[in-house]
Amino acid sequence: MLTINNVVKHRGNQKILSGVSFSARPGRVTGFLGPNGAGKSSTLRILLGLDRATSGSALIDGVPFAELKNPLATVGAALDGFGAHRMRTGRAHLRWIARAAGLPRSRVEEVLEIVGLTNAAGKRVGTYSLGMGRRLGMAAALLGDPEILVLDEPVNGLDPEGIRWIRTFLRERAASGKTILLSSHLMGELAETVDDVVIIHHGKVVADGTLEEVTGTHSSLEEAFFALTTEHAGAVV
Amino acid sequence: MMVSSSRKITPIFGAELDKLVTLPLIWRTFVATFIVNLALTAAFTSANLQGAIGTQSILATGLASMGYLQAGFIILGILATCSEYTGGQIRTTLTTIPWRGLQLSTKHLALAVVTIPMALILTGSGILYAFIMMRDTAAEMEIDTMIKTLLGATGYLTLTTLLSAAIGALFKRTTPALVVLLGYYFIVSPLAREYLPNIQYYFPDTAGSYMYMPLSSGEISSLSPLQGTGIILAWTLFFITAAIVCYRKRDA
Repeated sequence: MLTINNVVKHRGNQKILSGVSFSARPGRVTGFLGPNGAGKSSTLRILLGLDRATSGSALIDGVPFAELKNPLATVGAALDGFGAHRMRTGRAHLRWIARAAGLPRSRVEEVLEIVGLTNAAGKRVGTYSLGMGRRLGMAAALLGDPEILVLDEPVNGLDPEGIRWIRTFLRERAASGKTILLSSHLMGELAETVDDVVIIHHGKVVADGTLEEVTGTHSSLEEAFFALTTEHAGAVV
Repeated sequence: MMVSSSRKITPIFGAELDKLVTLPLIWRTFVATFIVNLALTAAFTSANLQGAIGTQSILATGLASMGYLQAGFIILGILATCSEYTGGQIRTTLTTIPWRGLQLSTKHLALAVVTIPMALILTGSGILYAFIMMRDTAAEMEIDTMIKTLLGATGYLTLTTLLSAAIGALFKRTTPALVVLLGYYFIVSPLAREYLPNIQYYFPDTAGSYMYMPLSSGEISSLSPLQGTGIILAWTLFFITAAIVCYRKRDA
């Protein structure tokens, strides 16, 4: 269970987040939507302990990220970018992560197989395409077989086959009771994957509910998104 | 912290060691430093070959390139910490090892473990080269003095590397850290030695040089090797502590 409670973030004089609150529940895929600069990545970074909230709390199963006993087995995270040094090979990157978490090397080969990166694992990360980089990020997130996945734009750069794979994969994980929070700007894709939707705009949550609730009377999630993120749109759904 | 630090250290240390040894830049820096050091030692040996006698001359010649050799170790230290900020690796590091103070101190420990053999090989090869080339003109080699000098030089280079790593962690970016450190070691410190002779012994590089600097007979040293070690160690610990405090407080 992920709980974001009234998180405020200031950077200099700028207010990035203004009291963001929502939760992501086990057994469900929660989509986190918002235009560029709305505060999606800032929220995820605070949740993962990378940035500090000015006030409020972001908890994983009731505790901040830094207090988790075994972070990799609890939360798998894939944020924007590759998350790996360009000169290291994909396999070497995954191996140091596995070693830090006390996982066997065989687990590295398993996740490489899962994300379809085995053949490119010996190549340097700098030679990877955007899609391969996303797969490497997913492999790192899956290493500890975590109960919770936090994914920032997971389908960005993936080919149609990769997008289908990730959609099926996330649905299967949610069906097995795991918690998934993913941000995306691909509305059509998100509508086919998520159970719950949170929409953020200018650092404030403007919609939070099930896919059906947020879509409401609009013809699609995309229509609802634009209606909610247009200036002076209505209150929280 | 929920889990005891001692139980966490072993896997974190292993991971930090893995990061260092799988980064090609670390090995390239070592090889480049080795080649440049050997070339400089050959040049100094050739210049000193005439009229050099005794163990002190061999050691002085073998370590004459230390001033330049330390540049390679400064780069090594900076690469160890600044490489975290390439490709967004820092996000992976902190989502895998969110205990920042423990992670950065363990990184310094792993760096020391990698640096010590490198420093031994580099300083040892310089002394060995000078010994081979000067053995005909020099008197019998004093093994005790040689071992003390070798260990002192290795210790100095290791502490310089750790200090550079801490500066790298403070700056987060390679270029500014490199400019500040090379600017200090190759411009500010030599000028300070000239114009501030009374306080020069408190600078990390000047104090550290007494860890290995062979003394000519009759020379009165301003610092003992132990005092020199204490001063550079204090500087290194100060910067590592400052780096950890900043690392814990700021956004990744």
